Amino acid sequence: MMTPSDFANAFSQWQRSAIDETTAAMGRMANFYSLWDRARTVQKGVSPSEVVYEEDRLKLLHYLSDEPPRYPTPLVFVYALVNRPYILDLKAGRSVVANFVQAGFDTYLVDWGIPTSADRHLTLDDYINGYITNVLDFLQERTGADQPSVLGYCMGGTMSTMFTALHPGRVKNLILLAAPIDFATGDALLNIWTQPEYFDVDKFVDAFGNCPADFLQTTFQMLRPVGNWIEKPLNFYEHMHEERFLDDFIATETWLRDNIPVPGEVYREFVKYLYQKNLLTQNRMPVGKRIVDLRKILCPLLNITAEKDDLVPPSQSLVLNDLVSSKDRRTLSLKGSGHIGLAIGNRAQKEIWPAASAWLAERSA
Amino acid sequence: MTEPFEKAGQDAAAFQKMCLDNFSKAIQAAFTFTPGSAPPEILRDIRTGIFRALSESWDEYMRSPQFLNTLKQWTDNAIAFRKVSDEILGRARNDLQAPSRNDIDNVILAVRHMEKRLLDRLDELALQLAARDGQQSAPAGGQPSKSNPPPRAQAGRAKRRTGRKVS
Repeated sequence: MMTPSDFANAFSQWQRSAIDETTAAMGRMANFYSLWDRARTVQKGVSPSEVVYEEDRLKLLHYLSDEPPRYPTPLVFVYALVNRPYILDLKAGRSVVANFVQAGFDTYLVDWGIPTSADRHLTLDDYINGYITNVLDFLQERTGADQPSVLGYCMGGTMSTMFTALHPGRVKNLILLAAPIDFATGDALLNIWTQPEYFDVDKFVDAFGNCPADFLQTTFQMLRPVGNWIEKPLNFYEHMHEERFLDDFIATETWLRDNIPVPGEVYREFVKYLYQKNLLTQNRMPVGKRIVDLRKILCPLLNITAEKDDLVPPSQSLVLNDLVSSKDRRTLSLKGSGHIGLAIGNRAQKEIWPAASAWLAERSA
Repeated sequence: MTEPFEKAGQDAAAFQKMCLDNFSKAIQAAFTFTPGSAPPEILRDIRTGIFRALSESWDEYMRSPQFLNTLKQWTDNAIAFRKVSDEILGRARNDLQAPSRNDIDNVILAVRHMEKRLLDRLDELALQLAARDGQQSAPAGGQPSKSNPPPRAQAGRAKRRTGRKVS
């Protein structure tokens, strides 16, 4: 039976939660009107940088630091052809790039730009044997280092892996961040959705040219329908009164919705040779006139994955460590985090990036 | 005649199964809270449980042949629509003597082919040059000397830097 003190406790608890909820509701109302303005003024990339090289739509950014670099080996970030690269430099305190700059690395980032219809015939050969090679040639001229370290993110990681296998002498250290390598794993929905009996990539590219940004956006959202379409809006409503949450949410959403088309032929090659035939793990992946043989990768390799990544589950990346000839191989896994959390999550900033910087520092002398 | 009906029936049954699974899993998950939890915690636990159950059911459904076939239909329809709209717009532009997307694509493709032919030829020439340089600078053993290595073109592609240094 409920005693008067139980009743008083329950009442005070209810009263406290009612006050908390009312305060939160007022905060939501206050922030509601500033949402549009905040979304419009999100800074895309926060670390100071300058463009040092341009080719077609590609821009090579050099990150500026007050101090001279501590290591002679420059570090180049190779970003994916999907979405924009500022996720790697989203906010102060949540920037992968800043981690490396502050650790004393001479840091560069390849921004592929936004492809137009004129780029629909560009192939992986153009990107890997063309653009990436040219960027590294330019860096050699600029810094004198003939072997920079390369960090590839997501699809950029796959491209960096192919580049390193095709040009083994040109990369000093290879760091991969959620890079898909094995496309036959059943845990990734994308691997299932792109099977040839359900998706005719030839017809698709012939009709659309470049793979449309909206198509990619919808596909990525569909990977977690409940999370993206129900949980996320609810979570947003509940925490809308918290300034820090709102800033992070708007910055991340701005990036998520800033999708760009993928050049048609690259998309065709990626889907056909990787998602449908899984040629990379079999050392049969054609890039231009050459075949990628992962056994030719000899440089130190750091493979970083996120345990709860729906886009690139760890099983898709970790297999690389058994396919290369490098003797110096290491993996870092972030528990309880997803694809984006690996770049901008609090725990990634505290656990993964300091460890990755230390790993690279030991190998950049 | 009965085949489409059967297929539609199977699809509907699969969808119905997913809905029932959703419902039963959500109900199960919703009532896993401990009696000692505070009311807002209970509600949060119920909600988390329901969402987890929903996510699992959807993930399962999105791997089913029924969903994959639906996905295929959507893509096929989108491709068909795109082709028809391109054709209509292309014809209208042709009638107005204006270039259509297709015309521009054809020009770009022709340029690409030309570029590829030139690059291939450059590759061949670079390889020939490299071989000749190698022969000239090779000591008696026939190997290129370290002080005069063959150009990087030997790695399989003519160097074709067209970018510009900005600073």
